[in-house]
Amino acid sequence: MTAASVPAAQAANRPQALRQSLQLSRRAVSSMLRQPQVLVPSLFFPLFFCALNAAAFDRITGAEPEFAAQFDSFLDFLLPATVLQGVLFGSTQAGTEMANDIEIGFFDRLLASPVSRTSILVGRLAGGALLGAAQALFFTGILTLFGASVKGGVGAVAVLVVVSSLLAVGIGGFGVTLGIRTGSAEAVQGAFPLIFVLMFTSSAFFPRDLMSGWYRAVATYNPISWILDSLRDLQTLGWSAEDALVAIVTAAGLAVLSIVVALGALRRRLRTTT
Amino acid sequence: MTGDTGQGDAIISATGLVRRFGDLVAVDGVDLAVRRGEVFGFLGPNGAGKSTTVRMLTTLLRPSGGTARVAGHDVVSEAGEVRRRIGVALQDAAIDPLMTGTELVRLQAVLFGIPNSIAQKRGADLLDRVGLTAAADRRVGTYSGGMRRRLDLALSLVHEPEVLFLDEPTTGLDPMSRMALWEEVRYLNRERGTTVLLTTQYLEEADQLAGRIAIIDHGRIVKKGVPRALKDEVGSPTLMIEVDADQRVAAEVLARYGTERTVDSGMLGIGLEGGAQQLTSVVRALDDAGITVVHMELNAPTLDDVFAEATGRRLEGADETESDVDAPPPTPDRTEDDPSAVTEGQSGDEPPRRRRRSAPLRAS
Repeated sequence: MTAASVPAAQAANRPQALRQSLQLSRRAVSSMLRQPQVLVPSLFFPLFFCALNAAAFDRITGAEPEFAAQFDSFLDFLLPATVLQGVLFGSTQAGTEMANDIEIGFFDRLLASPVSRTSILVGRLAGGALLGAAQALFFTGILTLFGASVKGGVGAVAVLVVVSSLLAVGIGGFGVTLGIRTGSAEAVQGAFPLIFVLMFTSSAFFPRDLMSGWYRAVATYNPISWILDSLRDLQTLGWSAEDALVAIVTAAGLAVLSIVVALGALRRRLRTTT
Repeated sequence: MTGDTGQGDAIISATGLVRRFGDLVAVDGVDLAVRRGEVFGFLGPNGAGKSTTVRMLTTLLRPSGGTARVAGHDVVSEAGEVRRRIGVALQDAAIDPLMTGTELVRLQAVLFGIPNSIAQKRGADLLDRVGLTAAADRRVGTYSGGMRRRLDLALSLVHEPEVLFLDEPTTGLDPMSRMALWEEVRYLNRERGTTVLLTTQYLEEADQLAGRIAIIDHGRIVKKGVPRALKDEVGSPTLMIEVDADQRVAAEVLARYGTERTVDSGMLGIGLEGGAQQLTSVVRALDDAGITVVHMELNAPTLDDVFAEATGRRLEGADETESDVDAPPPTPDRTEDDPSAVTEGQSGDEPPRRRRRSAPLRAS
């Protein structure tokens, strides 16, 4: 009775994995769109911080000639930081959703099927990557409306979009790892403040040249700073292949690292599931 | 033991299956042989190891010891092959509440590598069979418990599995939904030849659906066989009668057919040694003695009696039996939404004074 279905299932494995990843990504995206209340904070708070900081520090351009040489306004300075902040906020969602799937048992449904384990992870993270790209365009659009400028042109925006996607995967992957390890959406959300730490110990909200002591040291080694500084140069000084490369390679490195870690967590869970 | 065949035609076979969680031994050496085309019931109280066994058989959990083969493949070394051939509906119908029925069917089809052309038709047919066509495009979050279980069942069938695992398929369901699900399981087994292994804590469910059962307690199988044969092993049925006057005379007549048994006050009871075949003789004898019978019951041994004999405890209505000193601890039940599920045994329309499930024979 099942003679027909079994060979059909076995046929064409590689395209299958792609189809499965796509279908699972689709699920991730539609589940985000169906709970817009989850997306609102990651869209609203970065704008709020941006408005606050722009108002507070706008006179810096007059006080610091070095700063003023590169940035026309503090809003210009804040554009990449606002984008990355939104991406970082949004990317914890992937981890929460993964933990949710484990909590409600949907994860078991996936595991009981012959779907490739990597597809489960890819599907989860691809949703975040798409959200990241959308956020990059959203924030750039809004900040441009308020007077921010992107001198690097389309190329700079494209890099911003790519970096946002990669970073969404990078941070999302760590969230997913946490989700897999704990199986608890609350635990993943509990780690949310770490995102703030990552942002505030980078050059996101304050020029690194004006920092001193340990703060400056930490910010110098925070990879988020590397990405931000390169994005800023692209945006305000015009196109530079080197800056583009630094931003993309750093973000890609984070993405690869977090995927490796997440895959490890998934394998571990599959070996020892309770 | 009764009716246990060799491993030859077994589509599910487990040998010495063990699963430990730290110090806890959840499954402690389970041997199983389920034949192709049968409905096999896995009966036991909460926490007995039913679900853990099913999780091992469905490749979701690695055994700590022992081996198992399902549909011709080893559950550990050939897990992928096993997954292609089995359908799994786990406890609680794990379904993403944000997705619609149609979307879930499509996703399930993709997960099992079924081409779109086949999946669409098959998915629609399945949703139709389980009566969800009208609700197919609604989000699952709006479904009732029964609808979710039916969708879960439909999902587990999208790839037309050879073996279907149902883990407590009706826990928390109302009687109507329960019967509908039973009907569907029977249909699948009868019309499609699907082998079904179902776990349940409900005696009636095992009795109604399963051709053979295994009773599991504390991670071990304590009894295996055909329900009827298992019940016969327990011994003679209990005959209970109520008469309008002459109790003493009636008792004398009854004494000829078996030894006295303690039953509810106002009733007379014996263990009917010749079984149901003796019933007509008893009635005739009572009639000859001029006795008017007001009420008469013949209580065949139930699976609960089988369980009680094997474990010394009762599965059903555990808190009201005389021997509840070592009754099973109140295990947490996963059916938050239906508190009646836990005590299904003595809830509902049955008067609590009666311990046994019975089919009353009105004789008046």
